[in-house]
Amino acid sequence: MNALSLHNIDKYYENGAHAVKGLNLDINRGEFIVVVGPSGCGKSTTLRMIAGFEKVTNGEIKVNDKFVNDLEPMKRGMSMVFQSYALYPYMTVYENIAFPLKMRNMRKDEIKRKVEEAAEVVNVTPYLKRKPGQLSGGQRQRVALARAMVANTAICLMDEPLSNLDAALRTGMRREIKKLHQRLQNTIVYVTHDQVEAMTLGTRIVVMKDGMIQQIDTPQNIYEKPANSFVASFIGNPQMNICTASVIKEGKQVKLLFGGEDLTLPPQTADMLERQNYVNKDILIGFRATDVLYEEGFVAEVEHVELLGNEQHVKANWNGQQVSLQAPSSMPIDKAVSFSINLDKLHFFDSDTEERIC
Amino acid sequence: MDEVVATAKYETPQVQTKEAPTFLQIVKKTARHILLILFSVITAFPFLWMLVSAIKTTDEIWKFPPSFWPAEPQWQNFIEAWNSAPFGLYMFNSLFTATAIVLFQIFSAAMMAYALTQFRFKGQKFLFASILAIYMLPAASTYVPSYVILSKLNMLDSYQGMIISNAVSVFGIFFIRQAFMQVPKEMVEAAKVDGASHWTILWKVLLPMTKSSFLTFSLISFVQMFNNYLWPSLILKSQDKYLITMGLRQFFIEGGAYGIKWPLVMAANVFAVVPLLLLFFVAQKWFIKGINDRGVKG
Repeated sequence: MNALSLHNIDKYYENGAHAVKGLNLDINRGEFIVVVGPSGCGKSTTLRMIAGFEKVTNGEIKVNDKFVNDLEPMKRGMSMVFQSYALYPYMTVYENIAFPLKMRNMRKDEIKRKVEEAAEVVNVTPYLKRKPGQLSGGQRQRVALARAMVANTAICLMDEPLSNLDAALRTGMRREIKKLHQRLQNTIVYVTHDQVEAMTLGTRIVVMKDGMIQQIDTPQNIYEKPANSFVASFIGNPQMNICTASVIKEGKQVKLLFGGEDLTLPPQTADMLERQNYVNKDILIGFRATDVLYEEGFVAEVEHVELLGNEQHVKANWNGQQVSLQAPSSMPIDKAVSFSINLDKLHFFDSDTEERIC
Repeated sequence: MDEVVATAKYETPQVQTKEAPTFLQIVKKTARHILLILFSVITAFPFLWMLVSAIKTTDEIWKFPPSFWPAEPQWQNFIEAWNSAPFGLYMFNSLFTATAIVLFQIFSAAMMAYALTQFRFKGQKFLFASILAIYMLPAASTYVPSYVILSKLNMLDSYQGMIISNAVSVFGIFFIRQAFMQVPKEMVEAAKVDGASHWTILWKVLLPMTKSSFLTFSLISFVQMFNNYLWPSLILKSQDKYLITMGLRQFFIEGGAYGIKWPLVMAANVFAVVPLLLLFFVAQKWFIKGINDRGVKG
């Protein structure tokens, strides 16, 4: 039985915008699902439909196999953490955390025990008597987490909870959230536009674009086997380099031809492309900035170098196309850089559908 | 903080030495002040005149040229005025009905504003437009239908009639709706997801978040209801139901003998405004805040 299922979900707004298109997603109990995508991809709308804040135009949402489309948010038995924390400014931290328990008419001593326990876990015990206005952003988000935690719901929704925090706090809070999930073992649906959060938190990642799911998989598979060129370029920093190439066959060898250069493909990849009739056709190839070797080979003109301590990101012009390369910071980089591509790590996409070939 | 200021003083002495104002600036500033003083006096003068007239004799009131302060203040005018009509009862009637009306108005305005801001239903925009349209109507145009309704409900000449006929304030609905719209929607959503009912969200989330608007509205409405004269004088007939406004009018005709006893009329007026003055002194922060925040004109 799935903790949460979304079947053929469509969402049209009153202005006619088609925000979510035919979305299907089954979430198992205890999973940490991260929905990631650029602004306007429909990820927040999806979350708001799960919470019950937005009506579903078509399709069905089920919680524990029960149809909940028409159920009001208060009756869905979920908790939620918001980007803006959504703490009540006139209540103390204690009252904020206790709010969901009070709504369940829990006994006072029980509430006290649970609030203190949750406050302890997220380290806000010293601030229980303060108002949210007297706390820092990180502390406020901890309180919001504690509030979601005490509710002890089977499903917890998180809408970009770390977006308002600075980089250092984000890293710390990421760890806290991960620990909390391991401790509570509840189902979490987490929406973010930050691929680092997606990669580090999710047991599975859902990548969305233009209201449609592009791929649902584990972080590793999403990174190593992106389903299409969008996922390939969206996940990973720096972005995956994607360029057009032609597949040609010279004798028994299958080669990739691009920008006047050619590459002989390993037999297994060559077979695959040949079997799928890509010989004498254009395809998209992708390689990550890390999957290059700095040796005699292709030559690219260096345009920009960013030094990041132990590594450097190089933006270079390679046959009229901009590529990103990652090199150790000890490597001297001048006006040009020579590199070769690790052929085992090449990704191939159909040039029309942009779907993964192999 | 002190240190920073001190440093700034030391480093930028030119900030401290203001340039002498030009002649034109002095003239402008003086003109502005004269105008403000003039308008303040014009506004406050009737009130001050009422205060001093209350302790004058009738002759002193009619004396020409008038004197501002009486030769001998007639403090007993207040006691005499208070004893010559049941002002205590009138005052109670006004305070009681105004308080009840304000409570009803807060309740109805909050409920209506909640529906208008938190629910989505067909005809919502039309409903709000109708409410605004009613706000534009002159109050007097509703007197006849309201009178007929009250008479059919057998509520003429009763506190209930007075309270029920004022139980809904269109201005209140509009004012509280605007306040609710300022509340971040995540606050309401967070409460919903935590299991709060609409009732709880209204009174435990939205009300505390918009407390200042509720207070401002209550004050404005209370003053209006306390000062209300025309409508109560149409529906209340028995003297024991009279509001202070009607009581004053009655006193002017009878006890004040159509202006023959001006000092007593003035003294009665003075204690009639005392509750409002007290209220204003206690709550002036909210009055000013509410008016500044929302650009409300009394």
